Amino acid sequence: MATLELVDLAKRFSKKVWGVKKMDLEVNEKEFIVLLGPSGCGKTTTMRMIAGLEEVTRGTILLDGNDITDIPSRNRGISMVFQNYAIWPHMSVYENIAFSLKLKKMPAAEIKQRVQETADMVKIGELLKRLPGQLSGGQQQRVALARALAVRPRLFLMDEPLSNLDAKLRVIMRTELKAIHQKTEATSIFVTHDQSEAMSMADRIVIMKDGVIVQIGTPDDVYFRSANMFVAGFIGTPPSNFFTVKCIYNNDKIALEHSQFTLDLDPKGFEELKEYNGKEIVIGARPEDLLVVPDSEAVFTEEILVVEPQGSHQVVALNLSETIVKMIVSAEAKVKPGDNIGLNFNRKRLHFFNKETEDRIHLKNEVE
Amino acid sequence: MTITKSQLSLSRETRKKMVPYLLIAPVVIYYSMFWLFPVINAVSESFKNVDGVWTFSNYIHIFKDPVFYTALSNTAFLVIFSVTIEFLLAFGLALLINKKFKGSSIFLFLAMIPMALPAVAVGAMWSSGLATRGWLNSFLMTFGFIDDASKFLFLAGGKMSTLWLIIIIDAWTVIPFVMIILLAGLQGIGEDVREAGAIFGGTKFQILRKITIPMLKPTITTAMILRIISAIQIWLIIVMLFGFNRLPVLLEQVVLNYDQLGAEYFERIGLALSVLVAIIVSAAAILYLKVSGSFEKEEKENG
Ligand SMILES: Nc1ncnc2c1ncn2[C@@H]1O[C@H](COP(=O)(O)OP(=O)(O)O)[C@@H](O)[C@H]1O
Ligand SMILES: [Mg+2]
Repeated sequence: MATLELVDLAKRFSKKVWGVKKMDLEVNEKEFIVLLGPSGCGKTTTMRMIAGLEEVTRGTILLDGNDITDIPSRNRGISMVFQNYAIWPHMSVYENIAFSLKLKKMPAAEIKQRVQETADMVKIGELLKRLPGQLSGGQQQRVALARALAVRPRLFLMDEPLSNLDAKLRVIMRTELKAIHQKTEATSIFVTHDQSEAMSMADRIVIMKDGVIVQIGTPDDVYFRSANMFVAGFIGTPPSNFFTVKCIYNNDKIALEHSQFTLDLDPKGFEELKEYNGKEIVIGARPEDLLVVPDSEAVFTEEILVVEPQGSHQVVALNLSETIVKMIVSAEAKVKPGDNIGLNFNRKRLHFFNKETEDRIHLKNEVE
Repeated sequence: MTITKSQLSLSRETRKKMVPYLLIAPVVIYYSMFWLFPVINAVSESFKNVDGVWTFSNYIHIFKDPVFYTALSNTAFLVIFSVTIEFLLAFGLALLINKKFKGSSIFLFLAMIPMALPAVAVGAMWSSGLATRGWLNSFLMTFGFIDDASKFLFLAGGKMSTLWLIIIIDAWTVIPFVMIILLAGLQGIGEDVREAGAIFGGTKFQILRKITIPMLKPTITTAMILRIISAIQIWLIIVMLFGFNRLPVLLEQVVLNYDQLGAEYFERIGLALSVLVAIIVSAAAILYLKVSGSFEKEEKENG
């Protein structure tokens, strides 16, 4: 268990290609951190630098306060689960898990016990004699996990470990991984491009884009207080809906004018919008913050384009002036394509963004 | 009673099993016609004397001839040392090039040049180079390493130095070949299993020994077998440098008897010798597979 600190970390692969432009991050003891971002944003590069597989171009990596930037991988006290497992095909499951323990010259009896213990924890205790070639993808994944856990690492790195599993197994493994983390309490960094995986597993999520961090926060932070339009659009399924509006600020009323509707707000609690008076801003509305209401209370009415049943709820898509707007309604609601429905906004939960910078316009009393 | 179609024709499964045999059939037929018949013919002729009578006399002649034993031991020496040296150097180079340093592809290209040269050209190059007035001595003199009086008599040495000269030339010729095979194998292994080795506590050497080499074993076996087989058959370069009978090796004796001595009696000796060489080559290959444990693995996988 350890703390990790990345200070001004950067990796440049060639003149024009930066893997990571700048990373500053503090990971607390026992924390489960998820690096989240679209493909190519530098998640793997960050992991590889922490693991010592990639030389850093600039910056420092501190583990428990000690500078490990130039220490070889094998001496860092780190273990890693690779995306494509990278288990050794010529070694049995037992030998794979025991590899690092043998190199550490641990007594044979202790190795045996540790291997069995770890294998049982990830439910492959029966498979120790097998070769990896005789295992399914999910079992190989567990071998990779056991190998990484057996070391009792100070820091546990996982690079998209679940992405090669089928959807069902992926959800099962999420739960298991989280349970294992609660048991071992190893400081962990988990990489994924799947936002729902990140939301369900992380203590804190680090959202990256183009080699820089765009937001660090708890799942609630990034969901309810997205730092910019990128985060609001990346987190959540379906993602946030965006509406560009003109802000007319009067002391008794704020009018947000969209080409298709006007949304009125009570200025109380939205005082920060005053400086945008007369300017365009962007409203971000999560699909569950669009409400179906009787026409008399509606901000606008629109025809339903498609309905996507999800079992626990339904996703309704509308076509509002050539942009698809998605909202969530209850499973019981009687909605069908072609129906006209009235809509209103859950005003307390709206996000506002500066149209130029795409950054969040922070309000004083944001939802906690 | 009606007979269904499936009762008449072979089951789907049987048909599926036949597919590979059907696919290799043309090759088998080709080989039997152009390879198996000549081989059977050669073998049977080697057991006949000039008058066409069945006899062991050709083989008895060989086993009584001390030159045969010299050829055998020379060949064994060449095979053991040249294959070992070639493997070690080629493996080192393959590991180096696999690192993909700047200019590694140019280096790879340069290294492949010896491979592109036909054996006769290699022989000609080295025999002109190693002659007392050859380019190697001239080169050394130009740069002042030696003077006219101390020119190397490369080709006039004793048996050991001639053997080593052949080993060096052979190594120079085939290292690129072995290296390419090993490099292909290395590139097939993938970086991640080695990186995992580094993360889980391995030093460079431990990773090489416990991960890279075991995973490369099928490739190593292929390369070694190919090299052992062709090293047993070295002859042209020896004849071009030293002529016949100066440094007897197995295949050189085959060529000498079959082609050079010009009497049917010796032709049949040559045939018998070539049968022996074929047996030795097969035996060496099987022995290597046994020692390296390749058979075991196949059993394990099938069992
Ligand atoms: N070895 C490399 N050489 C050159 N460019 C690389 C290398 N590895 C990654 N990159 C580049 O660095 C960027 C970040 O890559 P990566 O960290 O793999 O992204 P992610 O894991 O988030 O998908 C990408 O633009 C990628 O093309
Ligand atoms: Mg990646």
